[in-house]
This record gives sequence, structure tokens and C-alpha cells, in this order.
Amino acid sequence: MKLDLANPAWRQTLPPGRSVAGDAPAVACAFNKDGSLGGFALGDGRVRLLPADISAGETAAGEPLHGGVVLALVDDPAGDGFVSGGDDGRLLRIAADGRTSELACQKGKWFEHIAGHRATGAIAASAGKNAYVVKAGEVREFGPHQSTVAALDFSKDGSRIACAHYGGVTVWSIGQVVLPPRRFAWRGSHVALKWSTDGKFIATGTQENDIHVWRMAQATDMRMQGYPAKVKSLSWTADARFLYTSAQPVFTAWPFSGKGPEGKPPLQFGDEGAGLMTVVAAHPAAEFVAGGYDSGELQLGDIKTKRSVVLKMADGSAITCLAWSPDGFRLAVGNEAGTLLVLDLRR
Amino acid sequence: MAQAQVPVTVLTGYLGAGKTTLLNRILSEQHGKKYAVIVNEFGELGVDNDLVVNADEEVFEMNNGCICCTVRGDLIRIIEGLMKRKDKFDGILVETTGLADPGPVAQTFFTDDEVKAKTRLDAIITVVDAKHFLGQLDQGSEAEQQIAFADVILLNKTDLVSEDELKKVEAKINSINRYAHIFRTQKSQIELNAILDKGAFDLKRILEFEPEFLHHGHDHDHEEEVKSLSLTADRPVDPDKFQKWMGALLQLRGPDIFRSKGILAIDGAPRRYVYQGVHMMMDSDWGTPWKDGETRSSKLGFIGRNLDGENLQRGFNDCLK
Repeated sequence: MKLDLANPAWRQTLPPGRSVAGDAPAVACAFNKDGSLGGFALGDGRVRLLPADISAGETAAGEPLHGGVVLALVDDPAGDGFVSGGDDGRLLRIAADGRTSELACQKGKWFEHIAGHRATGAIAASAGKNAYVVKAGEVREFGPHQSTVAALDFSKDGSRIACAHYGGVTVWSIGQVVLPPRRFAWRGSHVALKWSTDGKFIATGTQENDIHVWRMAQATDMRMQGYPAKVKSLSWTADARFLYTSAQPVFTAWPFSGKGPEGKPPLQFGDEGAGLMTVVAAHPAAEFVAGGYDSGELQLGDIKTKRSVVLKMADGSAITCLAWSPDGFRLAVGNEAGTLLVLDLRR
Repeated sequence: MAQAQVPVTVLTGYLGAGKTTLLNRILSEQHGKKYAVIVNEFGELGVDNDLVVNADEEVFEMNNGCICCTVRGDLIRIIEGLMKRKDKFDGILVETTGLADPGPVAQTFFTDDEVKAKTRLDAIITVVDAKHFLGQLDQGSEAEQQIAFADVILLNKTDLVSEDELKKVEAKINSINRYAHIFRTQKSQIELNAILDKGAFDLKRILEFEPEFLHHGHDHDHEEEVKSLSLTADRPVDPDKFQKWMGALLQLRGPDIFRSKGILAIDGAPRRYVYQGVHMMMDSDWGTPWKDGETRSSKLGFIGRNLDGENLQRGFNDCLK
């Protein structure tokens, strides 16, 4: 792969790419399955689809798809576009050509969190205290949980979903056989969740600025403290050896190979940013990572060489979302001011 | 998109006191302002407005070993969601259920960093049904707590009771919370300027608070009743001793102390030290400088249950130089 993420030239000039001024804060972003489009969820109800190919023409902003804020966006695991959720209570499928269809509607609730599972084509989304799984046109409800679901994710094989809420995590089998859910309890409110890429761990970020990790096999758990803010962004490396966490001024990765991270400090590298990392995204294949800051900076790093480069963004607005293209050559970046970028990181 | 913190007004009051009527007026009247409203019962409001959000009153204990440290998890989430909107608004109103304790709502604004960064608690408004209030006091601690937390009280439905009865209700309210501003209303009719954007939690505006002196001699109240009291001192305060005393007091009595605020003349400091708290949570800052020749006196105000004024004054006196 011809990528050098610690390219010093990028300190002065951003890598080639496409930059669009959205009219509202960017909330979430993703690339579709074939990587041809970067999708951005915005605070005005719009979902902007930007061609990844820089030479392609500009697309129109389009009409708002949701009534209020688009709260979540993922690539569609069963289609060529995206799936979005909004505070109008609708879960929408957006095709690559922009056409939409409604997957679910929960009037008066917000569709806040969505996850997709590529191999099975299943979509999981949460509205209020319930999670919904959409697969092959069928919608199934899981819940209610003891509080509003604050994050969710699929297991590696797609057979289960994990929902974070007040008091811990609930894991549901989503196969045709209905099994009682498994509960992993830890006091307090859990506000972020990511299932490890090897399926062995579930990590959450808590209201009390901690990280909590459960080992699935033994149902044992561990807690990592010392963050100055809530860890709202978690990202496992493709090989599941590291868990990246936001809310630090540098890249912070907990090692999960061997005996796990207990009693060890996290691996930290990169330049100290002007603020704290708000969002972190591990590369889908290689040992690279991207982090966005509340100061608007963007940092790219390489965990093997510990080299990194900080990219100055023009407007200094907090970065709210990051996504790698499936081939790992492009990066989508959105910020609070509504600047939407698709960067081409190939040399 | 840096913008000023959005003011949040909390609306409490027993079922039927007139909260919904007030909200409907705020949403439907032409005042040129835009408010987002977080309600607990969708559909009760007659107004169709996409800035009306349904909440579930999810009260969370913080996992930090402090029992009175409860917050509204749903509010953290909803405020975060609202702040992503393109169209900004002038304020947020949070309606609580009739039996809700206003503590967790207020504490949310002291606890969560993101909520604190984007919004500020402006005031707690309690709507009181003049006819049924005294009876509601006997039904549980909620009505009393709602008065204790209030910055503004709408004494509503005054047309349904006599002047004598009104005076009795007002006296009772005053005995619980003597710092709140009471407005007599009918059908929740009130000039919105009088109740919105009050800055009641603004440390810069604490100077406007004027505690009354302890009324000695009318202390035959039941011990467990909620009341307000003030402490004063003319000698400068030793900051270390004060911090120790106040810390211990809130640690021990936090659940019983609903609101507290104070202006302190710290020994050797050119500026006033101001603070305010809800239960165990506290915000403090340096206020305006003392003028030359000005009497540097300190004053503290508490609203709480089982408060022993003399004991507190003794403790405060021990913190003086």
C-alpha cells in the first residue's frame, strides 16, 4: 500500500481532496461499500454524498432527508449507499443515487445510534430504550433496556448485538431462536461502545471519564481510569491488538494482545494536539490511525514507527467525525462548523 | 460555530399547577424568540412544534461514591442532540414531572462538561397551585423540595382563593425559601421577561442576592422542615478553614442542603469570592473587587432540611480571622 501517513509536507498543505462547506454541523460520516462516496450526516437534516474521486463533479446539497438533525450514519451493509437515523424518529436507507426508503419509524423518539454488519447485511439501530435489527426487510425489536440505549455494535460474526445503557451492557442473540439476553453490569452510565474486531472484548466509555472492558469468554472486566473527559470515541485496530481511545492529547492505545492491558500503561504516541482528541479512527487494514481534535486539528499516525503528522485545518472548529474508505486510501472528515472533507492520502 | 451558552430554564410544579399552560403560552405567543422545550409527556402540549422533545426522566447516579450525585442522563443526551441543530434557539425549557425532585436536573448542569460548555442553567421556576399547595405539602416531600429549589415561583390560580388564603400560602413559601421571587398569577399569565433569562445561577449576578438576617425567636418550626437561613460575618474569612468547613458540611449534610450561595470577603483578597451550589456540587469564582472604604462583609445563604442556624453560624465564625 502506498501510504505514508507521516508525510511532513502535509503540515503545510492538506493532502489533495475535496472540501465542501455544509450548512450545519457534521454529525457523522462514512464511506459506502465500494468507497465511491463519502456520506456526511448534518444538523439540518441533510445527508451530503460526496464523490471520493476528486476529478468527479460536485453534487448538489439536496433536500433535508430528516425533520431535524441527522443523528447517525453508517454505510449500508446490504446496499450501495448509507443508512441514516434522525431526531424525526426515522431510519432511512439512502441509495448511492440519493433515493431513499424508510426502514423503520418510531414517532416521538430519536434514532440515535446505528451499526451495520457487512457479512450478514444486518442493520442495528436504537431509538429510546429499544434496539431494532433490520435484516432482509424484517424489523425486530430488542428491549426495552433499563435506560435509553447510548451506543450499540455487532459481534464479529453478526450473531449478536451489544447495547450500552445505564448500569452496563446487554448482549442479545439476534438469530431466529430467541434467547434471554446476557447482561454485563457495571454501575454508572455507559455512553460509547465498541465490540473488538476479534469478537473477544466489549469496550465502553462511561459518564465518569473511564473505560470499561469486558472479556466475553470469562465475563471478567477491567476498568481504565485517568481521562480528563468522557471517552466518546473508541476504535479497535483491524487485528484487534489495540483499542484506541479519544479524550487524550495524543494517540492512546491499550494493548490487548497477550495478557491484555491490566496493570500496563497505554501506548501513547504522536504530537501533543492543541486540545483533546474528540474522535479517533483506526485504519481498516494497516497500522495507521487518524485522530480529530476539539481544536480542529487532525493528526495521522503510524503505531509501528510512532511517526505522525498534524494537519492544520482552516477553521479551527472541533472535528466531530472521521471515517476511512474501505480500501484505506481516503479519509472523510467533518467538523462542527460543517466543513466536509474527503482526503486522498495516496502518495 | 462558537456561540454563547444557551440558557436553560427548569420548570417544576405539582401536576395541575399550570406548567403546561405556561409552556403553551411560551410556545405560542409572539415574542420573537425561539425556545426548545423538553417535556415529559408528549402530546399534552397543544402546540405542534419540532422543537418540542419528549424526555424520559432518566435519573442516573454518578458512579463516584456520592449518593446525592444524581443527574438526568436523558438531558445530557438530548441537549447534545439539540446543539447539533442548524437553527439555533434562544433558550431551552425543561419541564419536569409533577413529582420530580429538581435536584438531578440542576446537578446535570454542574456535572457534565459538554452540557456545561454549551448551555447554562438560568433559573428554576416552580408553578404553585394556590388552592391546593398547602394540602400538597402534607402528601410528601416533593412540593416542599420544588419550592426549596426555586428561583422564581409562580403562585398560580390566585383567582380561586381569598386574599387571606393567598397570604397564608405566601408565608409558607417564604418560610421554606425566602430568596425566591414570587409572582401572583392567574392561568400562568406572566410577562416572560420576568421569568426567563434571570441568570439565577450566574456567579456574576450573585451580588444581587440579599440575604435577610436570621430571624431569632420564631424557631418553633419542626426540625425536619425545609427552611432558608443566612449567615453573616464582618471579619475576613480564612480561605483554608472555610474550605475545610464547607467541604465537611456538604460531605455530611449535602443531601439535606438543596441550594447554597455566598459572597465571601477572603482575608487579603482584593475581590469578592462568590460561590453557589446544589447539594454537594459547587461552582465558585472571584467576583467584583471591593471598593476603597467599603465594608467587607461576608454572607452565606442556605435552603435545606434540618438546618441548625446557631450551629452553622458557630462553624462559620470559626473560619474567620
